[in-house]
This record gives sequence, structure tokens and C-alpha cells, in this order.
Amino acid sequence: MASGLDRHSPKRGPQSRDAGVPSADHDDRTRDDKAYGKPQDRSALGRFWALVRALQRGSDPAVVMVTLALLIVVAVLVSLNLGFIKIPPVDVLKTFFGQGTSQQELVLFQFRLPRIVLALLVGGSLALSGAILQSVSQNGLADPGILGINAGAGLAVVGLLIVGTGSSAFLLPAVAFLGAAATAALIYALAYKDGSVTPSRLLLVGIAINAGIAATILVLSMRMDRQLYSYAVAWLSGTIAGTSWDYVFALLPWTLLLVPLTFAKARTLDVLSLGDMLATGLGAAVERQRLILLGVAVALAGSAVAVGGGIGFVGLVGPHLARRLVGPNHRVMLPTTALAGALLLVVADSLARNLFAPVEMPVGVVVAAIGAPYFLYLLAKTRG
Amino acid sequence: MANLHTEHLSLGYYEHLIVRDLNLTLPVGKVIALVGANGSGKSTILKALARVLRPREGAAYLDGKAIHALSTKKVAQRLAILPQNPDAPEGLRVRELVSYGRFPHQRGFNGLGPEDRDIIDWALSMTGMTVFADRPVGNLSGGQRQRAWIAMALAQGTDVLLLDEPTTFLDMAHQLEVLELLSRLNRDEGRTIIMVVHDLNHASRFAHHMVAIAEGTIAAEGSPAEVMTPEILRQVFAIDADIITDPRTGVPLCIPYKLRPHDNRSVGL
Repeated sequence: MASGLDRHSPKRGPQSRDAGVPSADHDDRTRDDKAYGKPQDRSALGRFWALVRALQRGSDPAVVMVTLALLIVVAVLVSLNLGFIKIPPVDVLKTFFGQGTSQQELVLFQFRLPRIVLALLVGGSLALSGAILQSVSQNGLADPGILGINAGAGLAVVGLLIVGTGSSAFLLPAVAFLGAAATAALIYALAYKDGSVTPSRLLLVGIAINAGIAATILVLSMRMDRQLYSYAVAWLSGTIAGTSWDYVFALLPWTLLLVPLTFAKARTLDVLSLGDMLATGLGAAVERQRLILLGVAVALAGSAVAVGGGIGFVGLVGPHLARRLVGPNHRVMLPTTALAGALLLVVADSLARNLFAPVEMPVGVVVAAIGAPYFLYLLAKTRG
Repeated sequence: MANLHTEHLSLGYYEHLIVRDLNLTLPVGKVIALVGANGSGKSTILKALARVLRPREGAAYLDGKAIHALSTKKVAQRLAILPQNPDAPEGLRVRELVSYGRFPHQRGFNGLGPEDRDIIDWALSMTGMTVFADRPVGNLSGGQRQRAWIAMALAQGTDVLLLDEPTTFLDMAHQLEVLELLSRLNRDEGRTIIMVVHDLNHASRFAHHMVAIAEGTIAAEGSPAEVMTPEILRQVFAIDADIITDPRTGVPLCIPYKLRPHDNRSVGL
């Protein structure tokens, strides 16, 4: 860090001056080691990455968003073709124009399409929730899981499975949502001290509560029989299996309400990401806005987890991806995040369905398999 | 013009009381320097003036109204604060950062209007940052970065600018550059500049009014000539110093020559 500021460092030798007199040329000295790689990195690979990054940051946000949207369309079309019952692309198109067989119609409209739509909604919601949390906590490692969303929903679902009244299809998502919301509220309450909740306290309390709930789930699941246990594990690692349009219509109102609300908060998120003191100085009611935004993040992730199970990593990776593509300005970063999350989950779910067909993998496992290496890459790149 | 003063202001963190019963009036349209030893409470006072820190007792007043009771957005239209060492999100460009200064003037769903854009352009050119507008803030040198933050505070369009050690971590040239910019903003734009400064000679040269803080109370205040005396420096900083007159500007300069270790000096915190 200091090397870029030190005008007398050997690397800057020709430019350094003895007297501390301002002159016109000192504007040219810039710290270019932060975003474009270390200046001494003159290898071919280093130059290549510098170019890639410059292209990425130089690209028009509108182009990025349109590209992501097109990729989503492609992913959806490919995903419709893939499956246990093979339907060629031509037949998919035919079916969409009402020319398909009744079996094709059943598979596409009742099985595959609702699942794809659900994956899009769940992925977008989780990523957006992560973006809010990362900005509010000014910590790029925050994700919905840290607020206890996944753990709380998981505990509630495991409890419900043990009690064994899983009769209604909507009881499970409702219980999962309540578990998520209750846990998030508990974490917020425990992090509250002296009239405010500091981001670092929130994260630390979140980690502690998560550990406690994980242990409780483990103890509870020891008492389950094999069949129930494997169902619980599949749910906990996230799965969009067994979906129907009913689930889509249960989730859709939340998404339609919360996504525009999040976009409307873009400027507040902008100033909150500068830190409490600057945000206050700029006229944001920091404590109240933070509570509102945490509530929105909990509702987004809670509703997504309720129908998708404990999917991790989308909330962490989605916002990072968006920031790399369009920068941290929320007006463009938030829509890009939602698109990136939707794309990631729809791709992951197609893989989960088809990779080891006819056996299905939990989508959360696939997301983690893609997300974990990327996360390690981010950690390796981030200094300190 | 925004009038700032405090009455019976007491401030603290947790169980520590740092500032006790402070009655301070800040002259309007001047450059004011708060000086004092580490832990004397000068940054704490600045935070209370900017309503970032809630008082234990008493209040800071903006035009006669308790600042904590006012709407935070209304206050943000009157005074801007720049903390020590502000940190911009990675990849944020200078123009984007400066546009955040318009936050207290924007409403509802509206984006930046033409008037906002004019003010952003003006703030960039005032601080000499126009050519760097599309650079990420993290890629700038220390002095450029500080100017970018000052441009954001300027875009806020306030009468008062509060700055906590705006020259820390800058080399001598960049320190002068930032202080001259602030001085120019005061002279040409009539802004009140209230800043915490460590370098007494900078305070003496650039401030019209100095407030020396020791152990949370005002040890001395007035013009640099009134505050920069051997007696006051001994009391506030526990140093023995010679005061000479700057041959170029005529302001007092301080040359410290000895520490007074046995004085009852507030250290640390």
C-alpha cells in the first residue's frame, strides 16, 4: 500500500523531487497497482489480465446487462432441451407454438419451464440479497447465509420433518421462511448495542449463531431415519426439484415487490457503502435505512430459500461478479447482480438435473462446485 | 450562512467521557483549525458538530437549532464532513464518487438532473479533478484522492466543510496542495472551513481562527498570534517551543525544542 504513496521510493526515482514544492507534473503519479495489477507485473500474462480488466471496466453497463440477458435466454433454451426425455430444439419451438405432442407439452410446460423460472427467480433474489448485505456491511465476504437465513430455514425445516406434519406442499416453504426471518431478527437483536448495530458486530454475531444452529441441526438429524435424513440433506444443500407453477406463483409476488424496492434504494446503498460517518454526513438516516435494507435482504433471501432450499454461494458470488463487470455504482450494479445470479443458478440447475441423470444432484452442490473455486480465486487476489 | 455553536456539550464513547461542558462558537466564513494533542478530543468535537456523534449532554446548534433534532437530510444540505482516511469502494470512479455528494438534494426515484451534473462538473474543476473524472478512485495518488473526496463534499453544496486531518498520510507537496485548495474555497466561495490539523505551522498559516483543545476543553482560542504562544503550547502539548515570525507571511511559527515529560498530559486513547 505505502509504496504507491512514497514519492521517494526507488521505482519512482526519476520523478521524485527533493523539495516539497507542488508542481504541475505530480498529478501524473498514480497508484495503478490496485485495479490493474501490480505495476511491476510486466509479464505477458500480467499484461493480458490488465487488458482484460481494462476492457471489462471500460465496457458500457448497458452492453453488459444485455449480454447477460442474452446468455440467460440461451441458457433457458438449452436447459429446455436437456433432460431425461430428449426433446430436440425444433420440437421445443414447435411445442411453444402449440404444435407439440401432449407428452412434450407436459414435460416442457409442467416440469421444465416452472423449474427454470424458479431457478431464475431464486438466483436473482439470492444474489440481490447478497449485494445489499455486502454494501450495508461494507464487507465483500457477507452473504445471506451470514444473517442466518440458510441456517434458520434449515433448522425450521429439520424440526418440521421430525414433528412430521409435512402434509401441505406450502407448509414447508412457509416454515422455512419463518425460520429464516426469526433467525435474522435474533442476530440483529443480539448485535444491537448502545442504540446502533455496527456491521462488524452483525457479522460476528451472525457467525456465532450460524455455528450454534449448525450444531443443533446435526444433533437433531441424528435422530432421523435414513429416508428422512437424505431428504433433509438434499433440502439443506439446496434443491429446486419437485417444482410446479404453484411455487412460482408463491414466490413471484415477493420478487415483484422486493426487486424494484431494492433498485429504488440504489442511491442509499451508494452512500452507505462509504461508511457510517460519510453516509450520515451525506444525509442518510443510517440506522433506519440499514434496518430497512436488512429487512429487504432477509425477505429476498428468505423467500428464495423457502422454495429453493439452502443454496449458498449465489449471494456471495453474484455481487462480486457484477462489481467486476460494471463497478460498484448500485444503479448499474444491482440489475447486473440480479442477472448474474439468475444466470448462475439456471446453469447450475441444468447441470444438477443432467450431469448424473437420472440421479439428480442438489443444485446447491453444483453452485458450490462452481462458486468455491471462484471464491478461493477472489481470496487469493484480495490483499490483507 | 450557517452558524455553528455548542452549549454545555459533553461527549464520550462507552464509559469514557472525552469532552466536558464545551461552549464553543465557530466564526462564520472563516478557516478554523482545531488543534490539540492526540486524545484531546478535537476529532470527537468535530464529529459532534457534524451530528455523527450523539452528545451525552448539551448540544451542538446549527443556526440556533439543536443539530440532532434537525432532519439529517436538511443538515446535509448545510454542512459536509470528511472523515480521516475515507475509503471508497473498489473500482468506484471519481465522477461517481463526486455524484454521491448530490445525495441530500435528490428525491425519490429521480436520478441526477442537469443542475446536479453542472454542480458535479463545477466541483471537479474547482479541485482540478476534471481530467481524472473517469479514473477509479483507488488508482489515484494520495493528494488526488483527497481532492476527489473534497470534490464530493463540495458537490454537497454546503456553507460549511468539516474535515478531520485532511493532510494526514500526504507528503509535503500534497499537504500544501490540499490546504491551498481549502483556503481558496474559503476565499473565493465564502465557505466556512473547520478542520482538525496536527501541524501547528499549517494551522497558523492557513487558519483565521485557532481553537486549542486540551483534555476535552478549550485551552485557548483566537487568532494564530493569540494561540501560538510558548505558554499555551506548554499547556496544550507539554512542549517547550520557540515562536518566531514567518518572514514571508508574518504568521507565528513554532519550533519545538523540548518535551516536558512530567507535565500532567493526556496521552493515548
